[in-house]
Amino acid sequence: MTNSWAHVRAETVARADASVVALIDAEQAPILARPYYAGEGPPSPITASLAHVPEVLEATLPFVGRILGPTAIDLRAKEIVILRTSALMECRYCVEAHTTVALDSGLSVGEVCALRGEREVEAVFTNRDELALISWVDEVALGRGAAPEDITARAREVMGDPELVEMTLVVAATLMLNRYCSALGLPTSAATLARLAEEGLA
Amino acid sequence: MTAMAGAIARGEVGGRLWFYANYHCNLRCTYCLTESAPEVTRRELGREQIVERAREGRELGFTALGVTGGEPFVLEYMPELIAALGSELPTIVLSNATVFNDRRLREMEPLADLPVQVQISLDRPDPDDNDAMRGPENFRKVVEAVPKLVERGIGVRIATTLEDPDAADPHEMERLCELHRSMGIPDEDHVVRPIINRGRAVSNDLGVLAGFEQLEPELTLTADGAFYSPFAPTVRGGDLDTDLLVSRTTAPLREPAEMLARIAGSRPAGNDASIGIR
Repeated sequence: MTNSWAHVRAETVARADASVVALIDAEQAPILARPYYAGEGPPSPITASLAHVPEVLEATLPFVGRILGPTAIDLRAKEIVILRTSALMECRYCVEAHTTVALDSGLSVGEVCALRGEREVEAVFTNRDELALISWVDEVALGRGAAPEDITARAREVMGDPELVEMTLVVAATLMLNRYCSALGLPTSAATLARLAEEGLA
Repeated sequence: MTAMAGAIARGEVGGRLWFYANYHCNLRCTYCLTESAPEVTRRELGREQIVERAREGRELGFTALGVTGGEPFVLEYMPELIAALGSELPTIVLSNATVFNDRRLREMEPLADLPVQVQISLDRPDPDDNDAMRGPENFRKVVEAVPKLVERGIGVRIATTLEDPDAADPHEMERLCELHRSMGIPDEDHVVRPIINRGRAVSNDLGVLAGFEQLEPELTLTADGAFYSPFAPTVRGGDLDTDLLVSRTTAPLREPAEMLARIAGSRPAGNDASIGIR
């Protein structure tokens, strides 16, 4: 993966505010969706778009929250998976949103750039476990059919069954969100864009 | 007893299952919830869908059916559909009664033998006042149609929608009641209700605000999904309101029914519904 993110950003920035579907504001939030609007500030575009189908929102957001939120896997590792997958899938919204989350989870700017394909991963990451994890993510996200034995073997060396199951599911859930957010053109929040500019990662 | 029948028996959910047959209408009333008019998209629910959901509704424990729109009787199949629904459960159909020509009236005659009522809107006892809200010639058409339905033995109710029923001129109300009695409609079949500040009433700054705390939970199916109340699937500026949307899923009926029951169960104690469409 080499520097794919830059061209995605350039191609999509012009339509960053042009969501394909209307984003439902708090005043129009269906009754069953209202608990997901309870936080401070506007709801995320994912919530505000899913609100069109409240029965689907009710199933999707707890699922996504459970898988992408805090679990036994530490947040740094989880954000490596989410950001790497999103960059591979060229999902502008997810890359921008998870760049800030990754920074808040302890990843350096250099590590973020490597995961986004702007630098060589091997030039930045040195930890054997994290390199094996990134290889696994690349294979799960882009591969077809069964994973090659060598990549599987590397993953098995650093992850037990529970970790491998969960990390693979994090990739799969992220893929789902990548395609959802990209296809619907969900806009990145102004706060996130400001943070990215501040970090030199816009 | 099904869970829905239990919720209805306990008064948690209204027993009537409502259908928005369509959204288009030959009139353009100033307080219309759905901004209905001749040129709007029809958004028909479909006769087969309505009959199938009505049968499911009876099996789930609903005790009555309701059909509204738009103007339901602009749909050719409406008399036959209402007869089919009336064979399932007691049915009320809301109408402006302006499309009841002789052919239509003949088609409606079988309704006389069924537990069916046609609820007709008549707001004021004076033609000019009435027609200012509902459109030219509305008053004349209504007072012509109602006796013809009554003569055929078809159940009729009169619905009066007012900006503020509590502030209505008692003399005017008495004249309106004399009018409906003169057409063969007894007082118990005359309902008075407030304009709800949704739909076109918002644009015209009319009516009372009504959220889900004030409205009776009555499952309402439309081409756009299932809603909390027949007052819920409103349209403002051409856009469907989603604040009282229950689900996009309407079949099997058990799914939106269970979601409505869950919502109704979450209403704060003491918030008794105070506004009904009939």
